[in-house]
Amino acid sequence: MFKQLRQTSIVIAVAALVAAACGAPTTPGASGSVSPSAGGAASTLVIDRDTSDLISLDPAVLYEFSAVFATHNVYETLVRFEGTDLSTIKPGLATSWDIKDSGTRNDITFKLKSGQKFASGNPVTADDVVYSVQRAIKLNKSPAFLFTDIGGLKAEDVKATDPTTVVMSLPKTASASAFLTILTFTIGGVVDSKEVKSKETGGDSGSAYLLDHSAGSGPFMVDHWTKNSEVLLKANPNYGGTKPTLSGVLFKHVQEPTNQQFALEKGDIDIANNLGPEQIAALQGKSGVTTTTADSLQLVYVGMNATVKPLDNVKVREALRTAVDYDGIVKDLLKGNGKKVQGIIPRGLAGYNEATPFQADVTKAKALLTEAGQTSVTLDFLVPTGQAPGGIAFSDLAAKLKSDWAKIGVTVNIKQTATAELLATYRAQKGQLVMIYWGPDYPDPDANVGPFTDYNAKSIGWRNAWDDPTIAQKGRDAALITDPAKRAAAYKDITDYVLHNGPYVVLYQPSELFGLRSNVKGFNWSSIGWAELASVTK
Amino acid sequence: MASTVALPLRGLRLAARAPILANPLNVVALALIAMFAACALFAPLLAPYDPLLQELGTRLQPPSPQHWLGTDSLGRDIASRILYGARISLIVGVVVVASAGVVGTAIGLVAGYAGGLVDDALMRLTEVFLAFPALILAMAIAGALGPSLTNAIIAIAAVTWAVYARLVRGQILSLRRREFVEAARAMGASRTRIVLRHLLPNALAPLMVQASFDLGSSIIAAAGLSFIGFGAQPPTPEWGVMISEGRNYISTQPWLSLFPGLAILLAVGSFNLLGDGLRDAFDPRLSRSDQNT
Amino acid sequence: MRFLGFLTRRIVGIAAVMVGVSIITFAISHVVPADPVAAALGDHATDQQIEAFRAEYHLDRPLPEQYLTYVTGLARGDLGRSIRTRRPVSDDLFDSFPATIELSLAALLVAIVVGIPAGVWSAISRGRLPDHLVRLLSLIGGSIPVFWLGLIVIGLFYYQLGWLPGGARIDTFVTPPPTRTGLFVIDSLIAGDFEALRSSLLHLVLPALTLGYFSTAVIARMTRSSMLEVLGQDYMRTARAKGLGERLVIGRHALRNALIPTVTILGLTFGSLLSGAVLTETIFSWPGLGRYATAAAIALDFPAVLGVTLLAAIVYPVGNLVVDIAYFWLDPRTQHG
Repeated sequence: MFKQLRQTSIVIAVAALVAAACGAPTTPGASGSVSPSAGGAASTLVIDRDTSDLISLDPAVLYEFSAVFATHNVYETLVRFEGTDLSTIKPGLATSWDIKDSGTRNDITFKLKSGQKFASGNPVTADDVVYSVQRAIKLNKSPAFLFTDIGGLKAEDVKATDPTTVVMSLPKTASASAFLTILTFTIGGVVDSKEVKSKETGGDSGSAYLLDHSAGSGPFMVDHWTKNSEVLLKANPNYGGTKPTLSGVLFKHVQEPTNQQFALEKGDIDIANNLGPEQIAALQGKSGVTTTTADSLQLVYVGMNATVKPLDNVKVREALRTAVDYDGIVKDLLKGNGKKVQGIIPRGLAGYNEATPFQADVTKAKALLTEAGQTSVTLDFLVPTGQAPGGIAFSDLAAKLKSDWAKIGVTVNIKQTATAELLATYRAQKGQLVMIYWGPDYPDPDANVGPFTDYNAKSIGWRNAWDDPTIAQKGRDAALITDPAKRAAAYKDITDYVLHNGPYVVLYQPSELFGLRSNVKGFNWSSIGWAELASVTK
Repeated sequence: MASTVALPLRGLRLAARAPILANPLNVVALALIAMFAACALFAPLLAPYDPLLQELGTRLQPPSPQHWLGTDSLGRDIASRILYGARISLIVGVVVVASAGVVGTAIGLVAGYAGGLVDDALMRLTEVFLAFPALILAMAIAGALGPSLTNAIIAIAAVTWAVYARLVRGQILSLRRREFVEAARAMGASRTRIVLRHLLPNALAPLMVQASFDLGSSIIAAAGLSFIGFGAQPPTPEWGVMISEGRNYISTQPWLSLFPGLAILLAVGSFNLLGDGLRDAFDPRLSRSDQNT
Repeated sequence: MRFLGFLTRRIVGIAAVMVGVSIITFAISHVVPADPVAAALGDHATDQQIEAFRAEYHLDRPLPEQYLTYVTGLARGDLGRSIRTRRPVSDDLFDSFPATIELSLAALLVAIVVGIPAGVWSAISRGRLPDHLVRLLSLIGGSIPVFWLGLIVIGLFYYQLGWLPGGARIDTFVTPPPTRTGLFVIDSLIAGDFEALRSSLLHLVLPALTLGYFSTAVIARMTRSSMLEVLGQDYMRTARAKGLGERLVIGRHALRNALIPTVTILGLTFGSLLSGAVLTETIFSWPGLGRYATAAAIALDFPAVLGVTLLAAIVYPVGNLVVDIAYFWLDPRTQHG
């Protein structure tokens, strides 16, 4: 009877199948979820996190926060930090290491623990270490500069002198202690050279394979990565240390913090990674859930271009610093989920300077402006879109600063810009005021001091056109001091100077916020950007 | 001869008389639109607070006598922000429709009257623009130009003009062969005169209907772009921005996103209602049979 | 023969449109005032790494040359590499396309199944309560921002009431069916996996209803007005005069003819669903084209933006072509010259 309707339905069905046939994924089971072998809901930790920064799980290629978090539990490094303590280097795959001055260079000799195995069953040998370092240098992706620039390493500087001994030779210009902290980072992850070599294609050192597979010796291994959807880690049966209680860890890609909060409250997930302060507040007192905060090592700051008038006058910069209501930001915007830090070294790293001399002093700020001969100043303020670390919107932060600065006669025109454009402008020294954040690449104070003070490092100092050769040299010298007390004193000196003379308004050090189901135990976030999932139980 | 001239204009004349206002729905629509326009125009007088004024001590307050619609995450008065948001939405709607309408109409006129290759080429162009899913093209444009309300307006206008071009061209094509045009020609009228004096007024009816709907859809499109970060930026009190700012507070302070959404619903609904009414009024067939509605 | 000629003309037309789409999107992507590469590589990248990246993606070549490279690649089915994900764009699209298709089809189904009967009901009870109700709901449907609706729907049906899941395509611990079409519902049916079927259907409900509301409203209104028109026609009066029951009158004559305009706009509706999917997918964590396009636009990832746009832009003309082919077969007038 309804001939037309039927014919229409046929048409639509055909169109659907045609479209769907064209759309069939190339990889079978690509939309996969947890495979039955992972043990199911009871023993798999489910983490909701915005993982849009994931590009690769290859330790020689990855540099993004989500990848660091996931992969830290998959690969082991020669040396490591234990738990959340970032000041003491502990043995990892290497039982001992030994720095020898060979005249022109420093040689570090690592002795490997015997009997360690990769997930494949292959033994961990010195050759694997050498292969891992060399491929990182050869691939020359985002993290490679840690080896080549900071460490000054070339591929031939790493050798295996016997199956359990590796020697790395660093130039005297590189800080050996900083290099050791670099080795704790994911780039120092040791890969199974036998397995990776068998998967090399077209000279890619196996990076196509390691993009979504793993070949490590850590407590977990990569089961699958469904792009834009989820990463599943499953327990490594050949792990040499204390086996994890969890049978798997699932990272689900969820962007909306509200959806994460809902899922956590409903018990559909175990950990929510991107909650904002308002959601943490909303979760207080709810049954079945708990919250935890941890330090991150990031600093949210405003960069001031030191060549743009009137920012070239240090009094003007000081005035801007003085006018900001830091306490209000931490208390009202971050709801306490951040720390007032005004120096360029975050809490948790050696050299942290507790001094926070600035807090909304309108009179003083105005006086400084008058001394500088300025009465009303107008500046462009580049602000990123989206959320700032600590879980508040960049726009809210910018609006607060705008109103704080308006009180002293400084008008800022907020220009919210997509990160791509903002970074490009900033890197080209074309910003006037730029709101952004920075996290150290490795847990050593030089990872911040260098970029912030050394114009020639073409990093943050460069972007703000701040060329101060004296402080740059001081920073370089401080990096190489080995005596901890002397080093601390040097950094105090440097950070005090930058506090009042640099082109930075450091706003706060954000906390990393987590919502957890009450039955999740043992989740301790290390501020460098990961947690040891092997010790987590649920 | 007079009757053949008058016939095509009948649609317009019909609308000019009672039928538009006879339908109570149209009255409601016009009243709502008038209210919306009043809010927009008189926002500075009507708003109890400065929409940008932050009061961190009174953040996230529910609706109360001091703040009829509550306060947001920075302590700003939501009611005031909605009033100023009306202003922004009105501007967006008017600018988009005006620019898209003018450009589209011009192109449609040229295509319809010139015919031949020019017509083919221009119609291909409209097909290209119509093939884009609107929001994706708008995102691409806004993404390329940078996130701002102005760029969002440009982007939305770019996906809107093609409809007007086709509408106008269609009208021109169907009208140009009618006797009244031949008559005008015979009387010695120039091409321009024919286009402007005879063809365009008759094409106006469907344009007005389309414009009414587009006023609404461009407000939604702008809000959508702002919601994902491509359009207006905080702290601008644009309704889409407000919904976006409130989305993390849904479980505890739902009014942050609720009220701006209702505002959009009301404003766009009134334009849609008007469009419906105009369409019914201009269509001689329906206006005969729908008299009782 | 006529059919062949018609088909060829239309396909050439589609090709011309696609060329136009590609040129415009290419132009837009390259008008970019900023360099997406720096953002892609992150804050800590060195200048040298950036240069190497630009060379690898041919970003250092003049625009017309880049376009030519792109188009010749297109002929091979190579859509370039995404700057953001570093994967071939075609791989990214293959991964995300089925999810969006499933969502759009589900929404279209909702629109048809709810919209047409609603429009008919509204027309036959013109002026009375059902008519007013349908018209009010349609008005709301055409005026409601889909992202706002999504937030409310999730907050209400997932969070407050717990009736339905609030995101993703399937339960976390349910294994998706083996891939045949990429559409979970169809694949579950093929595999006979009822747990996957149930889970994926439940996950489809909220996003499909949200996305489909607008189209439901459009179809309901269209059906209502064309039904009214048909019901008022002369031949209807004739049918009634012949003494045919009201049901028969409506069913046999009115509905069939009233549906013609509705079918016409189905292609248009499907195109608009793709647009709406962008926002719906973001809110419902739906791993489809819309979410991919949004991420691409934010990152100024123009190979990806180009890829998505080309793919989306082809749906509308192809959809129309399919509908027109259907008409060609169904309408006796065109068949006999």
